[in-house]
Amino acid sequence: MAIKGPDMNRPVSLAPLATFRITFGLLMFGSLLRFWARGWIESSYVTPAFHFTYWGFGWVQPLRQTGMYVLFGTLIVAALLVALGLFYRVAIVVFFLGFTYVELIDVTTYLNHYYFISLVAFLLVWLPANRDCALDARFGLVQRRSQTPRWTIGILRFQMAVVYIFAGFAKLNADWLLRAEPMKTWLPAKSHLPFVGPLMYEEWVAYLFSWFGAGYDLFIVFFLLNHKTRPVAYLFVLIFHGATALFFPAIGMFPYVMILSSLIFFSGEFHTRLLSFLRFGKNYLTEKAYEFKYQKAVVYFAALYLAFQLLFPLRFVLYPGKLFWTEQGYRFSWRVMLMEKAGAAYFTVKDRTGQKSYVVDNKQHLNLLQEKMMSTQPDLILQYAHYLAKLFKAKGVAEPKVYAEVYVTLNGLPSQLFIDPTADLAAKKLSWRPYDWVSPYENKIP
Amino acid sequence: MTRFRSNHLVLFVLASAVFYSCTKKTDPTDPPASSNDAFKTAMLTNYADRIIIPGYSELNTNLATLETQLNGFLDKPSSATLEAARPAYKAAYLSYQSTAAAYFGPASALLYNNYLNTFPAAPTKIEQAITAGNYNFELPVVNDSIQGFPALDYLLFAPDAVEKFSGTQAVARKKYVGDVLARMKSLTANTLGQWNGAYKTTFVNSLKTDVGSSIAFLVNQFAYEADRMKGPRIGWPFGKLSNGIVFADKSEGYYSGLTKELAVANLTSLKNYFTGGSGDGIADYLVLLKKEALAQQVLTQFDVAIKAIDAIPQPMSTSFSKNPTQVDEAYRQVQKLLTLIKTDIASATSVQITYQDNDGD
Repeated sequence: MAIKGPDMNRPVSLAPLATFRITFGLLMFGSLLRFWARGWIESSYVTPAFHFTYWGFGWVQPLRQTGMYVLFGTLIVAALLVALGLFYRVAIVVFFLGFTYVELIDVTTYLNHYYFISLVAFLLVWLPANRDCALDARFGLVQRRSQTPRWTIGILRFQMAVVYIFAGFAKLNADWLLRAEPMKTWLPAKSHLPFVGPLMYEEWVAYLFSWFGAGYDLFIVFFLLNHKTRPVAYLFVLIFHGATALFFPAIGMFPYVMILSSLIFFSGEFHTRLLSFLRFGKNYLTEKAYEFKYQKAVVYFAALYLAFQLLFPLRFVLYPGKLFWTEQGYRFSWRVMLMEKAGAAYFTVKDRTGQKSYVVDNKQHLNLLQEKMMSTQPDLILQYAHYLAKLFKAKGVAEPKVYAEVYVTLNGLPSQLFIDPTADLAAKKLSWRPYDWVSPYENKIP
Repeated sequence: MTRFRSNHLVLFVLASAVFYSCTKKTDPTDPPASSNDAFKTAMLTNYADRIIIPGYSELNTNLATLETQLNGFLDKPSSATLEAARPAYKAAYLSYQSTAAAYFGPASALLYNNYLNTFPAAPTKIEQAITAGNYNFELPVVNDSIQGFPALDYLLFAPDAVEKFSGTQAVARKKYVGDVLARMKSLTANTLGQWNGAYKTTFVNSLKTDVGSSIAFLVNQFAYEADRMKGPRIGWPFGKLSNGIVFADKSEGYYSGLTKELAVANLTSLKNYFTGGSGDGIADYLVLLKKEALAQQVLTQFDVAIKAIDAIPQPMSTSFSKNPTQVDEAYRQVQKLLTLIKTDIASATSVQITYQDNDGD
């Protein structure tokens, strides 16, 4: 989906962008309200004494309690303004920055669709999504346009394709295809479901879910792109994500994000008709399509974005060891519902001489989600160890050394030692280099 | 503009319908779906009927016996009358241990375990409360440590306990003991009543594994109790948090010298929760999930850990300083058990520990 060539600048209907803006805004509005209503602002960003940060983003810290609520309130208003297309440019910039800031506060709240939302919000900042079916256009704050360069729709389709196809490739591994893990572990927990419940113990069902999921992710985009197969493909989108929401409600908003975002594949005519239900004033066609001012810069910028999207998820090939074990290159790579991992982590802090020794009670420092996430992710284990070193140093322990005894089970295999228990984690630096404090993964498939 | 094709309209309606119906289904406050997993229903019924309800019932009876025996002591306080009441005290405290793992549902709503067994007790606060003659047992957290078994342990079995029942404060002290016991009885009766009433149905019909489901309660409580064993019952008094500085008086049942018996009873009862006793339990569920090896490994580790605690010389509170090797061995074996529960069992049963969204890594 190259951006260059006259074809990509050919004017097409702007309606798909408008639908995308409206559904995105409404979905974010609901999603943020839900986050607030469930008390997660408090438990994720107010209560914890310590936050796991991203490499290079250690300076991102939460606001105080009132600040966090005001920020969420602002984001909720911004999402609504985006949906209405009112003061759109300001609203989407505020939304993008605010949402991304919140997601950068704590790694343990990371979800692939939060990353997707940040990316889409970033793209929307630059796209003329408020030129039609928007209050901005209706009130004359911007000039109404019914057409937009073709690539503005294309780049959103590209983003969807990246999510699906990388998610599909990620499933092409032995555990997923040959052992039907983690589906085989997860499905029996769904035996309460009406009608299909008893089937959840059947092995072939786990294989069906695994193979269908992989095939769906790999190919759905191509069927959505082809106008002949599109209606049936969208039916599959509904079935697939509907099933995901039903079987794995803990995944949150992801299915709804994908169901609504997939509408971007439909034609301009479809969207024009769809939007005609909303009475945004008379739709007089302007001959002139929306045009970007700095065309050259746009091309370079877009090329850079596309290259990043295609290459960054592949960084895992640069690392030795098992990806699911070390998780180096795991995040920001569209690996969704891909593995079952659980851990138990015990930390001991010793002084310089190794004579003094203090066991750490994790509950005093981390919330449940933080402890759970930390226990299986080496970089978070290291960050926590650094936090403990700082804490014990302040308590008067000279040059604290931090040791971790961690056990992890991956995809239903017996738990095994995860971190080198003799490594002083306080002395290890977090970097992009391979982690040398992670114990090697031993394949213990019976 | 071409006509809107009808199949598109159908799709859109479908999309809205799916979207709407799915939104409803993710609501955690929804009533549990109709039960159609006979194994899980039978397993949960077994837990309710043969383990949890009998546990509270036995404790309820034992507390009544304890009250009778203690009245004998309070009427005529002496070492002899106290010794006469000791077996009833021991029986009640030990039977509490087999209710500890049911800290969810009614018990959780009443903060039952916190009120019955927050140790160590706070002797200074207890003495202040008796002197003031005015105390609010219903104040959570702040007043957890002036009531329940740990408070009785201090009031009845501290070195100069008996004399204090004959001094100037005798009346206030006797009333305090009576009030502590009355509260323990009423909390237990309340919990038992709820289990015998509507809660049992709720418990048995909850077949999911998300937070607030019965199976998640059970598995998370295994981890919680094993963690309590590793920490407050053994590790913390042993000085694990404090560079080996022992705090024997922080142990459970310190004054009555029941520390070891209570620990063994707690872990033995937890093993019974795991096996489901004579009926189906989580161990059998693991077998159904084709995890026989794991079930066996956990059972063996329960036995090893119980044996390791049993090998600590009496009184255990003294052994924290005198026999560190045995205590450390027990600590390590409990940690091994905790690891199996937190990793392999939690994973195999796919229980969740938080409501928060999770896309599976």
